[in-house]
Amino acid sequence: MTTKNDLIAQCKAENPTMISVINDEQIELTGADYEKACNDWAEMRLTQIKLENELKATQAVKEAAQAKLAALGLTADDLKALGL
Amino acid sequence: MAKQTFTTGQVLTAAQMTSLQQTAMGGGSTTAKTASYVLVAADAGTVVQMNSASPTTITVNTALFAAGDTVEIQNMGAGVCTVTAGTATVNTSSTLALKQYDAGTLYFNSTSATVFFAADAADGASPLTTKGDLFTFTTVDARLGVGANDTVLTADSAQATGLKWAAAASSSITFTTWTPTLTNITVGNGTQVARYGTSGKFVIAQYKLTFGSTTSFGGNIKITLPVAPAYGAFTAFGFTQDVGVASYYLVGETDATTTVSLNTLKADQTYLKDTGINSTTPFTYATNDLINIIFTYESV
Repeated sequence: MTTKNDLIAQCKAENPTMISVINDEQIELTGADYEKACNDWAEMRLTQIKLENELKATQAVKEAAQAKLAALGLTADDLKALGL
Repeated sequence: MAKQTFTTGQVLTAAQMTSLQQTAMGGGSTTAKTASYVLVAADAGTVVQMNSASPTTITVNTALFAAGDTVEIQNMGAGVCTVTAGTATVNTSSTLALKQYDAGTLYFNSTSATVFFAADAADGASPLTTKGDLFTFTTVDARLGVGANDTVLTADSAQATGLKWAAAASSSITFTTWTPTLTNITVGNGTQVARYGTSGKFVIAQYKLTFGSTTSFGGNIKITLPVAPAYGAFTAFGFTQDVGVASYYLVGETDATTTVSLNTLKADQTYLKDTGINSTTPFTYATNDLINIIFTYESV
């Protein structure tokens, strides 16, 4: 399972230097700004990964249910017809 | 003939009578001057005629003239001749600076106070000479020539008339940059464009953020405006783009200050409802995705 520290390390490995641009002016992030950028990105990625995993789990449950229906020779329309 | 006191039995000569007649008819003896001059008692009832190419003065002092005395001042020279209050007071409704061929009469109300009545009709007349001239005032009536095409009349205390012709204020908008304060956004290696322009109190501003690989969102996103709005809350519109996939409406909602919350629209039964954007709403943000919003409002 990916941890926040793993993601921070990944961010630093992929971005040994970090350039922010505002209105065509380039600003290199260093020190606390650099650390904050990596930290915040790691937190965001954790949130996104969690959501992605939840979606995958939901999709897996759905696909399993559809497989069971198919094994019984039923479809989702059959369930609707039954008022389910 | 200078003013004098006649005595009983005095016999006037023909020359004296002629001079008196001239004085009575507004003429009288003339004293020619070619340099600045201080009036003397003998000038009462006469004409003092200045003739100098350079500016000169005629000074009026007290205790020389009686109430009812008059002295006519004429300027024949190119230099302006200025009637100047010495120890006496000199009032006028016109100007005391006499141009060439200008004239007027000093009338003494007392030994120390006189009024200058300008004889030159031009003193009270319009100074206008040219199409478009304006009648203005400095310390005297003055002409302000028409300005260049499309200029507008502008108050300017540094000008003698207090007025000048100046280019009309441009109605075009010149854009400049601002650095917004961001809440729940860490730009990282992202790219921002934050520009705004004003025309009077009208403000138009654009904020655009293109995600870099380390740009991140926390909770609901807020940014600050370049200029405070005049009437508090207002709504701005834009879009946020999941590059190559889809674009979503972006709604900026201000609070009563300069802070704007960035929301998107979510289907909520019958109506669309705003909901804050974050790292997974309305999609999972990644490199090159963007948010772009335009603000138009009245500033304070």
